[in-house]
Amino acid sequence: MLNPKTIDDASIEQRVYQLNLGPQHPSTHGVMHLLVTLDGEVVIKLEPVIGYSHRGHEKMAENRTYEQFLPNPPRMDYLSGMIFNHGYCMAVEKLCGIEVPRRAEYIRVITAELNRIASHFIGAMDYAMGLGAITPFLWGWDDREHILDLLEGIAGSRLTYSYSRFGGVRNDITKDFYDGTRRFIDRLRGRFWDYENLINQNIIFIKRSQDVGVITKEAALAYGVTGPTLRGSGVAYDVRKQEPYSVYPEFTFEIPTREAGDCLARYQVRMAEMEQSLNIIEQALDRLPPGPIRSKVPRFVTPPPGDCYCTFESARGEAGFYIVSDGSRIPYRIKVRAPSFSNLFVLTEICPGHFLADVIAIFGSIDVTVPEIDR
Amino acid sequence: MPTEEPKKPLASIKNSLVQLIPEAELRDRDDRECGYHLEVRLVTRGMRRVAREMRDRLFFLETITAVDFLEYFHLVYLFTTYHEEHLRVMARVKLPREIRPFSVWDIYAEAIWLEREVYDFFGIRFQGHPDLRRIINPDDADYFPLLKNFGKTKFTAEIDDILC
Repeated sequence: MLNPKTIDDASIEQRVYQLNLGPQHPSTHGVMHLLVTLDGEVVIKLEPVIGYSHRGHEKMAENRTYEQFLPNPPRMDYLSGMIFNHGYCMAVEKLCGIEVPRRAEYIRVITAELNRIASHFIGAMDYAMGLGAITPFLWGWDDREHILDLLEGIAGSRLTYSYSRFGGVRNDITKDFYDGTRRFIDRLRGRFWDYENLINQNIIFIKRSQDVGVITKEAALAYGVTGPTLRGSGVAYDVRKQEPYSVYPEFTFEIPTREAGDCLARYQVRMAEMEQSLNIIEQALDRLPPGPIRSKVPRFVTPPPGDCYCTFESARGEAGFYIVSDGSRIPYRIKVRAPSFSNLFVLTEICPGHFLADVIAIFGSIDVTVPEIDR
Repeated sequence: MPTEEPKKPLASIKNSLVQLIPEAELRDRDDRECGYHLEVRLVTRGMRRVAREMRDRLFFLETITAVDFLEYFHLVYLFTTYHEEHLRVMARVKLPREIRPFSVWDIYAEAIWLEREVYDFFGIRFQGHPDLRRIINPDDADYFPLLKNFGKTKFTAEIDDILC
């Protein structure tokens, strides 16, 4: 933060100007457009312009059966597709009252947490790259690649999984996946120390993140901020603990929080969450119960008339599906609560007063996925 | 004589909502079946009073959305809390097509975008909104895509009885 220098009236018209960041810009993840009003290098006003990758998922839902909509949710948040896939299945199961076998729930948790780690790698390392550090990004990409290989082995695709199905999962995990995940946990535990040394000890990184883009608790409440962005502001709100779904209550894990609310805090929360996700995966692998992986579900589900709201913790915050059913095979309305949508809007509040270069840092630290905002 | 404030948060919320908005219909719902604990049903107005009450209790606004039933809309507001004890309140306003609801943007800043989204997809014009423009669809669009009479979407008459 700094105070703009006092300026004389004659030069005002030249000093205050608008700058378009994006829609194609290397530091905006996807087609995101930030319209920034600047006084010299200092931001006076910032307005995110969204909608460039709108594909009409919610309208699509009203024209197809519940099963046909299954490939859509992972395409909204392509970085944590497994979690969205899991969430959509949960919502429909809740609406129809379908029971899920315990083994399937365990597999869902393992895959979702693996996907969360992969997504946090993008979030945290892309942020570091936005600040000029290329090495951590490539390291993170390398580790993430292992997760994508593991998930590809069982789900068949690398990003947009349709692995969870109503009443269970598509197929059982293989021995390769089991052993590979164990190896990956050991590998990643040894790497955290490297990341710590590489990034957290870097004076440039610290200087550019500390006290930059502070989100207060009040702002978080007014803007509905959730996820790591909120936990960086000292609020221990996580849907996995708050409103436990699936088999999360059976595992011991912590919700990392930081009090500062700045970019560094959000980055630290993400790194700490990866370790917690590893703990969850390890416990789930230890206690993986035998049994069926899918319960008997009719070929086309027909939920009873009514509505249901089902939330889950995606890698970016609280996501949710609000489904209205009219008792037919086709949903009457599906509304998706996109965590990035609310997390992005808070930028308009926190960016004014910062340097333009800080906007890149703040935007990176919030870690949004654009297709999820636009849907 | 002032009534004693109930200890349970849900009962306390119900108590104050009944006093604030006598015309509202409150229903207890099973969280495991539909995802929320309390349903507040309103007709046309009263939403700002609900929002203000939820704001005072430090609930945050999860989402605003609409469901189109051809002759009227249901505007759906979901509130939940950061506190440890999980509680979700859903407020639902039945809104005839020609009525313009009041904006809650001064209570929840997030509503500026959420209401723009509802306007963008349903054409519901919120009164008092500072910046009601298209947000996701193109600025020059002349359609409201999530209306049931847009495109090939089916609509049923029986649904009216289900949610009302």
